[in-house]
Amino acid sequence: MTCDQARTQMLGGGEGKDFAEHLESCESCRNEVSRIGTLWQSLDLLPMEEPSGQVRERFYEMLGAYRQGLASAEPRRAFQWWQMAAAAALVVVGLGIGYGVREDKSRPELVQLREEVASMRQLVALSLMQQQSASDRLRGVSWSYQVEPSDEEVMNALVTTVNHDPSVNVRLAAVDALRPFTGSPATHVMARNAVIQALPKQTTPIVQVALIDFLAELKERNAAPELRRLVSDPDIDSGVRKRAEWALERMQ
Amino acid sequence: MNMTRRLLAGMGLAALAAAQLRAQDGRQQITMPFRDPSMPRKLVVEGGTGSLTIRGYQGQDAIIEYTGREIPGANGRGRSGRNEPPAGMHRIGGSRGLDITEESNTVRVNSQNIFGGTARDMVIQVPAQTSVNVKTMFGGSMTIENISGDIEAENFNGQVTINNASGSVVAHSMNGKILVSLDRVAADKSMSFSTFNGDVDVTLPADTKARFKMRTDFGEIYTDFDVKMEANAAPVVEESKDKSGKSRRRVRVDGTQTGTINGGGPEMQFTTFNGRILIHKK
Repeated sequence: MTCDQARTQMLGGGEGKDFAEHLESCESCRNEVSRIGTLWQSLDLLPMEEPSGQVRERFYEMLGAYRQGLASAEPRRAFQWWQMAAAAALVVVGLGIGYGVREDKSRPELVQLREEVASMRQLVALSLMQQQSASDRLRGVSWSYQVEPSDEEVMNALVTTVNHDPSVNVRLAAVDALRPFTGSPATHVMARNAVIQALPKQTTPIVQVALIDFLAELKERNAAPELRRLVSDPDIDSGVRKRAEWALERMQ
Repeated sequence: MNMTRRLLAGMGLAALAAAQLRAQDGRQQITMPFRDPSMPRKLVVEGGTGSLTIRGYQGQDAIIEYTGREIPGANGRGRSGRNEPPAGMHRIGGSRGLDITEESNTVRVNSQNIFGGTARDMVIQVPAQTSVNVKTMFGGSMTIENISGDIEAENFNGQVTINNASGSVVAHSMNGKILVSLDRVAADKSMSFSTFNGDVDVTLPADTKARFKMRTDFGEIYTDFDVKMEANAAPVVEESKDKSGKSRRRVRVDGTQTGTINGGGPEMQFTTFNGRILIHKK
């Protein structure tokens, strides 16, 4: 039996002679089995998260909507409802595990759990940012503050939101949420470039000002040509032009 | 798609049994039912040249009522008076660029009439439990009342007024005030209120749990909530009494300020560039 075959059996509990023999001969698989065992035990220790009364109601709402989506034979719409159900389930699971971790920080095996939670937070942030409702997408942007600022996937989702989200308020929140990424060694170059490139794409004054403030704060000289273009464009809102002028002075 | 009920108002295509078109004193009324009353409903409105009111009521259908009016001074400009009646004649019909559809329990009202010399004032009534998504570029004021659901509203030139709402609100105006009053706040919903050139004035139930993120570049922030400010810049809190003797707290700080009420909860963002932020306790 190869390690790959053994690994597929581990999740199911792992039985049989071949498996036992492989474990005896392979130290890394033995460690893996004991690691999984500890993880399951730790998960058992977690208090059950009590779902609120609304969960049942919402589930049936979603189920109904999903059926309706199928009925109208529109796979795109049905998929979005499925995503929403998945996001809601992840929020519940994520919260439950999150509470468990907070209760006891001293136990070493919970370090692993914390890693699982980090990837769960990433999933929650990413799937909420895809939702149809602006309120849900705002929640996704808020969740992004809980991932590691080196998380490129979440950073890219935020950049997409800044550039393409149909709601002004969601774009505005996403600009702010990019701040932690400009402080991380892993992502700061990408994040800075993303902010520079986002400015010419915006036509909404309040988002333009948020990006200009951000660039001034970063003292990002590479944005100077775009700022000068804004200052001299008569079609741009006068408040935005003044702000761009102020930012140029601050970068000197 | 045969599921789509499509209706072109003003072109005499009111042949669908489900839809009725009535005209009285220049006022047009169209009824568009939501296909499944037991499922979540949504109203989407795009475009528009006049004022827009969306109101929740006790019925099951979307009722769209509109009146055209001349924009003073608009005639004779632009497309060589294309919308002016020829001498001795009056208008009895034609394209008004209003498109109303229903699909998967979403009623969509698309109102494109940006070149004509008329503005269309519109009142849309929907069942109170409906989510609303409105976006206008050239419209006037926008009012949304008695709606229970997720409300998303964006306006370019006019004020956005939202009254007796329960659920969540995400609202933006470029040049107008944002005036919102919520009767009930959905427990896990994020909200956001922003304007470039106006005040943000929001009233929330006294027991709302939330985390405020507030930013004004050239204005002040006022509230009568007990806000627990988070430390990133030392806020200056001043107590003062207004004309009626009611005490007001004033929080004066620079940059984005965060604080929690009632122990904290989902994020609520308040942003204005050239205005004040007022957060009232109901």
